[in-house]
Amino acid sequence: MKFAMLRTGCSLAILALAIGSASAATIRIAEHRQARIDALNASIPAIEAKLGVDIEVVEYPAPEKDYFSKLLTELGAGNAPDLFTANNDADVPDLVAAGYVADITAAVQSWDGYPELLDVVKRLSTMPDGKMYQLDSMLSVSQIYYRRDVLDAAGISTDQPKSWAELLDRVREIKAKTGKYGLLLPAGTTWGGGAFYEGVMLMLVGTSTPQILNADGTLDLTGEGIADVLDFYKTLIDEDLMPIDPLLGPEPWVIPKYEMFPAGELVATTCGSWCYIYDWGPESKNPIPDVTDAVGTWAVPNEDGSGSTVTVGGQSIWMVNAKGADTEMATKVLLELSAVQPTVEYAKRLGNIPARRDALDNADFQALPELVPVLQNAESGTYLQSGEGFSAVSEGFARATEALLRKETDAAGAQQILIDYTRNLLGDEMVK
Amino acid sequence: MVIRKFSRAQATSYGFLFLLTIFCLLPFLWVFLASVDPNARQFLQLPQGLTETHFVKIFTTENGGRWFFNSLVVVGCATAVVVVVGGLGGYALSRTNAWWKRPFLYAIILVRVLPPTALIVPLYKVMLTANNVMRGFVQSIVPADWVRPTMQIVGFVDGYLGLILVMAALQLPLALWIIKTFFDLVPKDYEEAAIMDGANVFQRIRRILVPLALPGLGAAALLTFIAAWGDFLMPLTFISSAELQLLPIGLFRAFLRVNDVDYGFLCALALLYTLPAIIAFSYSRRFLVQTFAGGVKG
Amino acid sequence: MAMTYEARLAWQNRLLLLPGLVLLIAFVLIPAGTAIWLSLTNEALNGAAALNPRFVGARNYVRLFTDGGFWNSLFVTFVFVIGSSVIGQFVLGLFAAVALNRPLAFRQVFMAAILLPNAVPEVVAGFIWISMLAGGEHSTLSQVLAPLGVPSQQWLQSAPLLMIIVVNTWRGIAFAMILMTSGLAAIPADVYEAARMDGATARQIFWRITLPLLRPTIFLYMLVSTVGTFAIFGLIYTLTRGGPGGATEIIGIYIYNQSFTAYQLGFGSAVAVVMLAISALLGALYVRILKVEV
Repeated sequence: MKFAMLRTGCSLAILALAIGSASAATIRIAEHRQARIDALNASIPAIEAKLGVDIEVVEYPAPEKDYFSKLLTELGAGNAPDLFTANNDADVPDLVAAGYVADITAAVQSWDGYPELLDVVKRLSTMPDGKMYQLDSMLSVSQIYYRRDVLDAAGISTDQPKSWAELLDRVREIKAKTGKYGLLLPAGTTWGGGAFYEGVMLMLVGTSTPQILNADGTLDLTGEGIADVLDFYKTLIDEDLMPIDPLLGPEPWVIPKYEMFPAGELVATTCGSWCYIYDWGPESKNPIPDVTDAVGTWAVPNEDGSGSTVTVGGQSIWMVNAKGADTEMATKVLLELSAVQPTVEYAKRLGNIPARRDALDNADFQALPELVPVLQNAESGTYLQSGEGFSAVSEGFARATEALLRKETDAAGAQQILIDYTRNLLGDEMVK
Repeated sequence: MVIRKFSRAQATSYGFLFLLTIFCLLPFLWVFLASVDPNARQFLQLPQGLTETHFVKIFTTENGGRWFFNSLVVVGCATAVVVVVGGLGGYALSRTNAWWKRPFLYAIILVRVLPPTALIVPLYKVMLTANNVMRGFVQSIVPADWVRPTMQIVGFVDGYLGLILVMAALQLPLALWIIKTFFDLVPKDYEEAAIMDGANVFQRIRRILVPLALPGLGAAALLTFIAAWGDFLMPLTFISSAELQLLPIGLFRAFLRVNDVDYGFLCALALLYTLPAIIAFSYSRRFLVQTFAGGVKG
Repeated sequence: MAMTYEARLAWQNRLLLLPGLVLLIAFVLIPAGTAIWLSLTNEALNGAAALNPRFVGARNYVRLFTDGGFWNSLFVTFVFVIGSSVIGQFVLGLFAAVALNRPLAFRQVFMAAILLPNAVPEVVAGFIWISMLAGGEHSTLSQVLAPLGVPSQQWLQSAPLLMIIVVNTWRGIAFAMILMTSGLAAIPADVYEAARMDGATARQIFWRITLPLLRPTIFLYMLVSTVGTFAIFGLIYTLTRGGPGGATEIIGIYIYNQSFTAYQLGFGSAVAVVMLAISALLGALYVRILKVEV
């Protein structure tokens, strides 16, 4: 009798959980951060109707590091969702090497959206062997964002700085004339990939050794460029030109980006186009009025004054789980997510750039005037060639810059921390 | 003379206890104030008004009710498993004189000192293997649509059952010790009398041993409940689905919402999460000494 | 059927213990064995090693003992255990027990206050201490200390290790107090009476009578609490995650970071095995010294 009741109870519980799952195939998509989940949910009904699938969005913890640890644990276990994103292009080679990601070359290249993709996106999404395992449906375009209103008021030039020396002089001038912090480069371990992808990398591509991946797939971390970038950090830190305390805390971006910059306490920072929308624009908790007027952009100058660069990188880098139940259907969903409307949904809420030219014709995208010119110019962007072992490099730079933040070492010492850490993880043969 | 001296000692005692009380209670001030403060921030401040919205939010816009329910189910079941399995085992350990009794009891003390992070990676592998076996079994008996919902209950990774068993296993050694110690105090005479009356082992357990060892079982249950309720690492590692999330992780994730932390809600949730632990703790206080003294006196 | 009564009883006992044994073997013994195996491979969560893990012999252990991070973590763990459990919790818990051993007014109130931190789940404890310590001049600690002339600061950065020691002390006073109270209760009242007759001061009584008679209890406390502190994870994970710069990376956090942040499961397991060995040693000591009777 009791047993029968128990059985009924169990069946009812299972039934309750089963309600809503119809007989169609279910594709599970990993996504994190509320704004991104909202953007994804906005496009799902249309995709479900078009492909006749059920889509389930699996929510992951928000900070990138936590998201990625959790995702990797599940990928390793073989119970990860069918579709997921990497935070940075450089994360992809390691995922491919681990056998987690399905080859989607054929599907992408025969896709009707393929001709519309920006060339730089095609290059970013293709491995050295010519295969595609990822589709960067969005781009981040990173440069220096500065408070034009603050500089104007203080009588400081807003011209594009031509070299590192000029940039540094400008930053010192800001400090001298306004007493505010002049430039923030993300640093430290708690920012996750920030130190590398939003800081070091932007500077490194403008040095004499702009790449760290050798032709044979090994890594060169001894370059002079790396030493110079770390020395630039050291100068900013030692001369008190950038805020340090918040970077050592648990959510390092919150105080500088969401509080100090809007308040004018921090006058310039590296950032991506999302800053105009998510950080200080319409989607922000603490928006800057007339953000496109108040905030201007500089490309990051090359070290020697030979020009300047805008760094592009993938965002919403979609990949198909190689061990998923239905990789074919998952790939179809991936391509649908890279269509114009879904990418514009992300652009609206986060401020990243759709990776395709025809997004410029989309009315919703045209309603984002701050992003339109960024997409028009995205083709000219450069990027750091990534390869296997870059997750370790990223963490190595985080540790190196953390040591600088804590004023424990100089540039050479920081570079040694990077080399030691990466060697330890990847082995001596990988790191030259 | 003597009186004056002792009253000075008394004054010192009051002073010391007063300072200690402030040290112990000060950190709680923020949680209490922020949970009813409409403008709650991460920092201590006097609320400008009183609001119950944060508590309402737990059950309306957020999934707090679900998290609470999940925690109750998992921790409750783990406690039940520990009481039953620990009760049977503790009885056996109390009654046996076999050669393995001593080594076994020593060995399980070691389990208590094993740090859970040290086991988490291999444990994940073990759970995964068990999960695959279970999935195969479930697939063979339920329709395809029901596999996933069923696995959420009986699965080992991202399922109730696995988490329940792991939590139970980690708390079992302490429970075995406690329950064994209590059964040691139950005279064998009662039992022998029951055997004379023809009662089998289960009848003996139910009619005689359980009532007499009830304090021991209660102590084991309370301590298991407290430890499992507060456990963070296991739910963090083994649960992924939003609908299976437990309170500690819901709370932790609420704190990690980039640029979007609602401190009032966070504090209200923290209070809700803490309440059962405090209730259980207040009942278990008198057992604590016996438990640890049990280690010395046997 | 031919079994004797004794044999039947023996089988019955084994059967009753079986479910518990199965649980322990499945979820403790097998994982511990797997940890040893993993520590001899280059198993990883990401990269080529995730696809094809190799047997690498003792390489992880060699790396471990030359790894600055590991030694740093051992040192931090050592300071953390000594500072919070051996000194902080013990001293405050002992004094609290002695003070509460007198017939004081509000005794129950004091007791409840001291017990409360111990009842709180560790994640909650982590949060409330973030509010106490983080945020410069906004933090509660800075607000409290400001009138005393202490400059406000980011406590978790200026003195991270000291702060986690304070937090863990806060959490564990209750346990020390409970144990010491039980120890004090076992000291016969006439011993005190005699001492008072001889005109001993409260201080003399404490040092010459209370403390020596408490020795077994103190020993028990030290072992239980040392081992317990060694295994702490959630509290520090929510507070600092081991940072800044590894300053609070106690061994449990170090293992987690190696395994889930650097994705080196093999190396993380090697650290875990070393930690298991240390814990087992402490556990054996626990059994040995206390002469646990069964």
